[in-house]
Amino acid sequence: MPDLSVEQFQSLSHQIYQKLGLHFDEKKIYFLKTRVAKRMAVLGIDDAREYLFKLNYADPQGLEMQALANLVTTNETYMFREYDQLQAFANCCLPEVLSAKQARGERSLRIWSAGCSSGEEPYTLAMILQDVFPQAQSWDCAIVATDIDENMLARVAAARYGARSVGDVPDEYRRKYLIEDGDEWVVRRRTADLVQPRHLNLHDRMAMRSMRGFDFVFCRNVLIYFDDASRKAVVDHFYSALNPGGYVFLGHSESIGRVTTAFKLKRFETHLVYVKE
Amino acid sequence: MSSLNQYLEKLDGPDEAERIYAAEDIGYCNAPEGVPPLLQRLGQEPSRAVRDAIFQALIRIEADASIEGSIRLLASEDPQIRNQAVDVLRHKGARSVPFLDAAMRNGGKDMRKFLLDVLIGVQASGVEAIYEAALSDPDENVVITAVENLGRTRATQFRRRIEDLLLTGQHPMLVGVCLEALAGIGDELSLAAIRRRFPDLAAMPDFFLAPCLKAIGALGAAAEFAEVAGLLAVRGPHLRPAILGALVAIHQRHPAEARSEDLLPALRAVVDDGDPPLCRYQAVRALGFLSARADVYRFLVSCLSSPERLVRLGAIESLRGTPQAGLQDVLTARAMEETDEEVLQALGC
Repeated sequence: MPDLSVEQFQSLSHQIYQKLGLHFDEKKIYFLKTRVAKRMAVLGIDDAREYLFKLNYADPQGLEMQALANLVTTNETYMFREYDQLQAFANCCLPEVLSAKQARGERSLRIWSAGCSSGEEPYTLAMILQDVFPQAQSWDCAIVATDIDENMLARVAAARYGARSVGDVPDEYRRKYLIEDGDEWVVRRRTADLVQPRHLNLHDRMAMRSMRGFDFVFCRNVLIYFDDASRKAVVDHFYSALNPGGYVFLGHSESIGRVTTAFKLKRFETHLVYVKE
Repeated sequence: MSSLNQYLEKLDGPDEAERIYAAEDIGYCNAPEGVPPLLQRLGQEPSRAVRDAIFQALIRIEADASIEGSIRLLASEDPQIRNQAVDVLRHKGARSVPFLDAAMRNGGKDMRKFLLDVLIGVQASGVEAIYEAALSDPDENVVITAVENLGRTRATQFRRRIEDLLLTGQHPMLVGVCLEALAGIGDELSLAAIRRRFPDLAAMPDFFLAPCLKAIGALGAAAEFAEVAGLLAVRGPHLRPAILGALVAIHQRHPAEARSEDLLPALRAVVDDGDPPLCRYQAVRALGFLSARADVYRFLVSCLSSPERLVRLGAIESLRGTPQAGLQDVLTARAMEETDEEVLQALGC
């Protein structure tokens, strides 16, 4: 396994942050070393300096960074993933947006779960929304769940999940919003009805322009698989899709600030979130 | 053209989203005529989101006007606009080099520095000549940026020039970047130049020691190992990461010769005295060089129970580096008590 010096580790984590927007603190040195070792073995490189140089200056297409990204990220999705971020949504952002709407006499709320995969995220948001805001049922609330893959959208529509997907759902939420059916869990109708699956390619700029009037956009752990230009284009569309005062959430270790300067960084207690002014 | 005109009209519209879309659409039209209105709009556009979209359009339009306009933007007072102009020019790659070359000859010192910021992301013929000129630039900041870039891009053809600058340079920043650059592109002669300038590591100012250790780590021989190890006892704790980094780097290249028995107390002190976890991890890894010794082996085994997970991970790596009889039993026993997922993986569970 390559020995990364502190400086090499810092350089690597900086590069990963710059190119993928993923933050790895020093506790992750061993994790990154093991992933780098795998890539170095594949490439036949035995000096960590050579590998870092390749990543930084000899990877114009970003192919090696993408190969590394595949090793340092996980494709799996499950409900209540990145719980801290969801707490910021539930405890700070959502109440703020709802009270502003109530003050204006509005009774609608639109959330976009972009790149929703098999639907664990939009149903998580639906559960939180019903819990934080029981009146949601009498409002015009929608969680638009988009994905490019029709097979995934069929799974969203089925709203039926295995034990792995619901493993992190707090017991109280599980009792209120899920029904056990054999070795699977089904999202209760009242909750499932809030979610509207829709086919959308995030690269389709004309289709993206049709997405307007959202109060929240969630696109967590999706953009890390995009190149810089595409990532920027998509985040710009999120900006246009949001109402003023709306929030965008990428993965907890992904940064918007390095992709666009359009959003304003806002602090809620210990959480940092991005808002469209 | 008619659609371009429609987009140009919308670029000055009142709705922010429409202006964003207009800029985007102008970019997709890829017409040189779109560049001047985009640049003009940039000067008066209050929305950052629209400005972002305009820069993306400039990247997309394959016309010299886009390059020339972006070079002019490097003179902007607004750092955000300058940074985005740098980004556009980097995306233009080789095509921008003749324009950068001309601007390098005619531009002011700030402009020349920003042009070098562009060049770090451009690999093309013609770039070398710009760097040649930059290394002789009358402004020291331009020279410093050039050396920094050449080190980062591993431009070994400039190795001797940088050694000369190291030996003659007076500006501390210049000396520092020369050391950094030579760490990446140097050879034995570079090491000799470094030691000519800095014969006594123990007496060097902190500011120079960190990059110097990096260079010695990259270029030094076994003989330097003991000298670097000796610094652990005499230099401040803030330099420990650099010292440990140099030790690990030299040892990697000279595993048989690079060792120092005197190292043990200093390394144990780093592990024991509450340094940052990453530093303690490095010390445990450096102790692995001596893990054939019974006392070091015992110490590393004791590190398996450290409350700091990076120390435990480092100890596992070091112990596996020089396996001794019974090691697997020790690791298996440790696994029974371990709860951290990553440490369990390292233990082979």
